[in-house]
Formats: sequence, structure tokens, C-alpha cells
Amino acid sequence: MALIELDQVSKTYGSGELTVYALRPVNLTIAAGDYCAIIGPSGSGKSTAMAIIGCLDRPTGGRYRLDGRLVNQMAADDLAEVRNRTIGFVFQQFYLLPQLTALENVMLPMVYANQPPDKRRSRAMQALEKVGLGNRLYNRPSQLSGGQQQRVAIARAIVNRPKLLLADEPTGALDSQTSQSIMAIFADLNREGMTLVMVTHDSDVAKMCNRTITFRDGQIVADSRAPASLAC
Amino acid sequence: MSINLLENATMAVKTLNANRLRSGLTMLGIIIGNASVIAMVAAGQAAQGYVTRQFESLGTNILFITPGDAQRGPGAGASRADTLTLADAEAIAAEVLAVSAVSPEKTERLRVTRGAAETQSNVIGTTPDYLTVRQITLAQGRFLNPVDSQANGPVAVLGSEVAKTLFGSQVPLNQSIRVKNLRFEVIGVVAPRGSSFGQNQDEAVYIPIGVMANQVTGQEVGKTSPSVQTIAVSARDETQASAAQYQMTNLLRLRHGLFQDDNDFTVQSQQDLLTTAASITDMLVLVLGFTAGISLLVGGIGIMNIMLVSVTERTQEIGLRKAIGAKGRDISAQFTIEAIVLAVIGGAIGTGLGIASIVVMTLTTPLIAGVSLGAIAISFSVSGAIGLVFGIVPARRAAQLDPIVALRS
Repeated sequence: MALIELDQVSKTYGSGELTVYALRPVNLTIAAGDYCAIIGPSGSGKSTAMAIIGCLDRPTGGRYRLDGRLVNQMAADDLAEVRNRTIGFVFQQFYLLPQLTALENVMLPMVYANQPPDKRRSRAMQALEKVGLGNRLYNRPSQLSGGQQQRVAIARAIVNRPKLLLADEPTGALDSQTSQSIMAIFADLNREGMTLVMVTHDSDVAKMCNRTITFRDGQIVADSRAPASLAC
Repeated sequence: MSINLLENATMAVKTLNANRLRSGLTMLGIIIGNASVIAMVAAGQAAQGYVTRQFESLGTNILFITPGDAQRGPGAGASRADTLTLADAEAIAAEVLAVSAVSPEKTERLRVTRGAAETQSNVIGTTPDYLTVRQITLAQGRFLNPVDSQANGPVAVLGSEVAKTLFGSQVPLNQSIRVKNLRFEVIGVVAPRGSSFGQNQDEAVYIPIGVMANQVTGQEVGKTSPSVQTIAVSARDETQASAAQYQMTNLLRLRHGLFQDDNDFTVQSQQDLLTTAASITDMLVLVLGFTAGISLLVGGIGIMNIMLVSVTERTQEIGLRKAIGAKGRDISAQFTIEAIVLAVIGGAIGTGLGIASIVVMTLTTPLIAGVSLGAIAISFSVSGAIGLVFGIVPARRAAQLDPIVALRS
């Protein structure tokens, strides 16, 4: 079953002769349980596609169905709820709040989901255990290494058990060894059934996914599926 | 569904705590504003209380008659402020039933000597009724009595400070003092009274009014009866005060031959004086409170300023929060509550400082300042409201940020 369905989705800035296409009308379907890499040079539209898929931005044209719901026309607050329930985000710069502990950072999405405090706590602890940081619950981001910070960010992304995990250059700020461990966590999550979409320009990272979608000039120019046996 | 207040407040405290120096400086405006509102209002009310106590110490059924029409300024209604005479006082005593004691007063500041010792003092010519009207008590001897008044004998009662200056530790009774080269025999010493309206009441010498008018100040040209500055009157009791006021006014108008003209004298009860004083001190409290209120407002603007800076600096945090599911109202609530928390904590510290300054004021000045719960409640809710009002603009700005724009900034 398709989790993501982009139907002639485009993003333009300006109007008339000055119209700039960030994304030309694009058709893309990603099935539930898939593990996709989106690659392409900068300015290729991959980040725009990522923002639209993540409901962080609205397309100018076309229809976007996420998990069966038409989201391209939703109001800002409804999109916030979709992001909260259905999508987990992992960014290159981690974006952890410095004044909060690892545990509190991970609990944040559940705060916005209005979950009761004891449930937040136990689930945030589980998520941190899962990324191997069960012993770092009360450390602040400044007391953690880059890899550890990214693992806190992953725990935060999965704590609301989203169907889709979106990662924007998740290993861009990490060394290769740390990147390996982060990719291993992603592979685990995918094996448990989570759909992953990852923007990257690291071809080694892209090779670990089972589908690679290439953007150039606001369009999809290649969409290749790696043999299942090679995945991970 | 929106996240709850307590959670937001906890988050706000954490955020503010992470940036202690800035939070402290931001609060400073509110702290000073709040402390000054509380201290100023307390100072104003203390001054009010002080003035009220001064008037109440005069006694509740006392009335004062002074020359001139107070409504039109001193001395108005007559060319000179000498329209009241001793005869007026005698007429009041004889004819106004609501009155129990009448004390005309003719005062002049003069040099009083005893041998080489001398002092400047208010020499007050008056009658035996002064004792009851002005509620004074004697430390030694006796006050003027009707025989002294009748005989116009050269006798004097000394205020405690005059007695001390002239006689030191000696007993002044039956000794003599000199005023304007007239010899007076001391017959009594008044117990210390303190000062009233900035005038030291212990720097006084009381002599019979006849002696004062005839020998000390000298006869006035064209007057059948000597003029007096004040006639202090005791009503029979509090309920008779307004009757006394009315009857005396009628009597004096008749005696002064006023038919169409305005009064050339003023009758004021202690209540009138209190009301006048209250209207002045109310204004004082208002002015002080208003001035302090401005600093509270400036403090609020300081909060808005810093919150706006904070929104700009924390754009990525806002973007992240939105990405993980915060709605516009969650973000605006967060920033508004941060502003309120700043204002309320600042308010609490300011209140503490204000109370401390009230304690200092009470210990170091004659003002008895109370901590007004009203002022605390008002300045507390005002600082909370300031946080709310001045937090709204930055909070709205934060809430309206586009998540993707905020994240990529």
C-alpha cells in the first residue's frame, strides 16, 4: 500500500514570466515499508520535495496524499498534527533544545501530542534505549557527542511511532564510523516496518537503501531499485 | 488540543534559567517598577496617615475660627486679616449653646529671657479654656485660671522646652521670666506635646490674653476689642459640631454686620481640615503611584524588546518545535508564558524589595508605612498583565513563522 502519493506536485515561486520552478510537476509513489534515498545536486529540488513530503511546506500545484489523506490543502494547524502523528524528522544539525535533557528532548513530540506525562516518560525512555542511550537520559546535548546527539534526535523522531521517518542529511555532520552506527539504527527501524525517506548526497549512504530517487533541475531523472538482497 | 499551562510554565522557567544573565537584566525593569510602585504608594499612604493623625490629635469636636474667607484665600473678605476679636470669642462663649469651651488665641513669636538665658518662643495669649480645647496636660503647677484672666496678672505657663532652656534642671515654679521687658511669674509647665504641622508646640509660653493684647503687642488703633488670630472652640460633643459651626457663623455674621457680603472669617471643623488634607494627600498618592507606574511600563517595554530578540534568535527552535507538531497557538503560548513568567518573577522580587524599603522607611522616618496588600495585588497583576500584553507581539511573530523557513534560517 502506498504511504506517499505525489500527483503532479509542483512548487513555484513568483508568477508570470518570473515564475521559478523549485519543483516541476512530479509524480512519485513510495510504498509503506520502503527505504528510499533521495539524491541529487544542490538546487535539484530534492530538499523542496523533502519539505513537501514532510508537510513542512505546501505544494503550489498537484495533489499530495499521505497515508490516504489529502494533505496539500490542509490548514497549518492540521499539518502540525499530521507531522506530529505520522512523521518523524531527523535533521543534519540535530536541532536539540540545549536547555533540556536528552529525555526531555525526546518527550517533546509527545508533549505536543498531549500524552499523559507518565506515558511520555516511559515511551521516551524506550526510544532512547532503542538508540542505545539508555544510560544518557539526563545529559544535556552539550554533554553528548555528535553521534549521541543524532541518536537523541532519532529517538525524538520515533517516539510518537510515526509511519514515516524523514531524514535530511542525517550523517552530514558525522564521521564515517558514527554514520555507520546511525545507518544501522535506520536499517533496524525499517526492518520493523517503518518507512524511511532520506535526503543525502553521500552515495555510500544511498547504497544502503533499497530505492534511490535522483532529482535534477526540479525533476526526477532516475528511480532505481536495488536488489533486495543487497539492502543493508 | 493544545499543551497545558503548567507544562509551558515549566518549560519557560527552564528556558529562562538557561539564559540567566539576560533573564535577570530583563526582569530588572519590572523589579524596579514593582518595587517603586509598592514603596511609593506606601510612602504616600504613610504621609496620608501622618497628616490624618496630626488632625485627629487635635480632638474630634474641635472647631477653628480664623479671620478671612478660606474659600477665597487668606485675608479675603476683609482688607486685613484681623476681623476676629476677643469680643467675638466672648460672645460665642455666652451665646452659642452647642459650644462648651472657647479659646481665643493671640500669638506672636518673641524673645523670652531669664537672666542671661534666652530663647525664641511663641507667646500665646489665651484664656483658661485653652486647657480643655487644646487637650494639654501640665507637668508642674497649674494652667491659667479665671482669676488670672480677670486680674490680667503677669503670670505665664511654659512649654516644656522653654522651661528646659531657661531653667535647666531647676524648678521654674514661682520664678520669673521676661517677655518684652515685662516680668512674668511662672505658674506652671506643660507636659511635652511634640510638634504639630511642623511647629514645635513645646516652644510656647502661655499668658493671659488681656496681658498679651494690652501690654505685649500693645493696643490696636481703632479697635474696641483686641484682634485674635484664632478662636479654637470645643463643641459639646461630636454630634454638636455642625450645629456649633452653623450657630457661630450666624452669630459672627450678625456681629460683623454682614448681610449681603461674604464671610470675613472661616469656621472649620476638624472634619473639614481632614477632608482638605485628604484631598491633597490623595493627589500625592496618585502622583507617586503614577510616576512609579511609568517605570513599570518601561519595564514591560524592556520585556517586549528582549522577547522580540529572543524570537529572532530562536527561530530554529521554533521551526523544530513546529516540525515535531507544535501548533501556532502552542508557540505563541510558549512565548507569552515566558514573558509572563519573567514579569511575575520580576514582580515578586520587586515586591520583596518594595516591602524591604517600606521597613526601612518605617524605621528611619516618623512615617508609619504599612504594606498595602492592595498595592501588592495591583502591581503583581499589573506586571503579569504587562508580561501578557508585551509578550503578545513577539509571541504572534513566533507563531506565524513558516516551519520550513524557520528551520532553514
